[in-house]
Amino acid sequence: MTPHQPLPEPREPPSRRRFLGVAGAAAVVTAAVGLVTTALRSLVPEVLYEPVRRFPVGRPEDFPPGSVTLVAERRLFVFNTPAGFYSVSAVCTHLGCNVAHQEGKGFACPCHGSAFDEEGRVRKGPAAWPLPRYALSVSRRGELVVDTRRTVGAEFRLKA
Amino acid sequence: MSEPLRRLYRSVFRVGWPRTPKQRLSAMLSSLLLHLHPTRVRVHVLRPSYTLGLGLVSFFLFAVLTLTGLLLMLYYVPHTSAAYRSMLDLRYAVAFGPFLRNAHRWAAHGMVAVVFLHMCRVFFTGAYKPPRELNWVVGVLLLLLTLALSFTGYLLPWDQLAFWAITVGTSIVAYFPLLGPQVRYLLLGGYEIGQAALLRFYVLHCLILPLAMAGLVALHFWRVRKDGGLSAPAHASERRVLAWPHLVFRELLVLVVVLVLVNAFAVAVNAPLEDVADATRTPNPAKAPWYFLGLQELVHYGAILGGVVVPTTLVLALLLLPYLDTDPRGIGVWFSPDRRLANTVFACLALAVVAVTVIGTFFRGPNWAWVLPWAH
Repeated sequence: MTPHQPLPEPREPPSRRRFLGVAGAAAVVTAAVGLVTTALRSLVPEVLYEPVRRFPVGRPEDFPPGSVTLVAERRLFVFNTPAGFYSVSAVCTHLGCNVAHQEGKGFACPCHGSAFDEEGRVRKGPAAWPLPRYALSVSRRGELVVDTRRTVGAEFRLKA
Repeated sequence: MSEPLRRLYRSVFRVGWPRTPKQRLSAMLSSLLLHLHPTRVRVHVLRPSYTLGLGLVSFFLFAVLTLTGLLLMLYYVPHTSAAYRSMLDLRYAVAFGPFLRNAHRWAAHGMVAVVFLHMCRVFFTGAYKPPRELNWVVGVLLLLLTLALSFTGYLLPWDQLAFWAITVGTSIVAYFPLLGPQVRYLLLGGYEIGQAALLRFYVLHCLILPLAMAGLVALHFWRVRKDGGLSAPAHASERRVLAWPHLVFRELLVLVVVLVLVNAFAVAVNAPLEDVADATRTPNPAKAPWYFLGLQELVHYGAILGGVVVPTTLVLALLLLPYLDTDPRGIGVWFSPDRRLANTVFACLALAVVAVTVIGTFFRGPNWAWVLPWAH
């Protein structure tokens, strides 16, 4: 038996091989990140085939004074009060069910029992936020126009 | 048998019907399906009272769901103007259409329940402890996938039940801090539940989630073998018996029971179908699928608590559990006295989940007010 010979120290690998290895790994990572980003980004819709967010709901005289009208297909209410018009969303801010209007008592949600007053403010939970009040205007054709992208304060009234 | 037929038969079944121990061993090794099993199994894990066969039942239900789902896909059109009509077609104009749909629906509900029970079994027998930590985590992911598959399938009939259950469910998603609204937007492909949402749910339900499920199921099975078979206590007998016939025939028996039950339910009970989805009419009460009614019950007390805090905590606790509790005592025994604290805590949590689900399902009526189940 020959005495045990210590192994030679491993040499530093050739620097060109090391450089190409690092460059190759970086290329693979870059390509992977690019592919994943592209794939995820493609899932974010660029165009929404949904109803427009600003639309006419009818002429002011279609809403008799003192009335509360549900515009069902737009999921909102239009109030005609002595002080003017205002509009409240019919979609409960808790989990998205349609609230029902109860004359003089505000709104009640059938899903989890949230209650709101006539202005859409929370009277009883579990809803944490008030029903949004949408901006109203009168178009040049004399129609009431609701803009659901813009919400307004409780004091908002439109004279028409 | 003539010689060419014999050769054909031998090319498919190399061993033939195994009679001798040697043939039984090679039968287990020479078939794709059978070779997932070991050739010999410990007698401890063969006792039905140890595993209750729950993992196997989940797998068979998944197989039933894949087959019935593929057949349903041949009739289902994922378009808002056609989806509900395909449901009516399945009911009135397809031979055995109601049977297919019922089988798919009841197998799906059954799978949610059985996967949950399987998790309880694994916990109460301490089977998540080292070396099986990773397989427990895979199992938790499989439970989440099962829920996601069931939830995405719930929208497809495009009836009132589907539409409002998904309205409530995706609104809960939006409560998650920071990313919630964006995730909901991505899931629905917009702000409303419309064509984009239906198509996304359809592709998730029919392709993406089942493929993920199949991959994780394979990993789950493979890990069972790599972790030394099913868990057993240290003092359990090392005696092993041949997998053919002792394991294979027990599995076939479980398959027969699953098929009989799915058939019986599909014949006896019709899957619900309400009016076509209508965003202007909220049914009262509007309920999520039953396995999320516990969440909905909690959400009734507060959306952040019920929709975010409780479910996130539970899932995180389940994922971390095997890395926190590594005490090797009590593995392989139901309700081991060495694990009294862990078992009690888990039993309380599991019972709480069952309790809020039962309350949400049976004891909540219009406006989410208390009702007695027999009062309506």
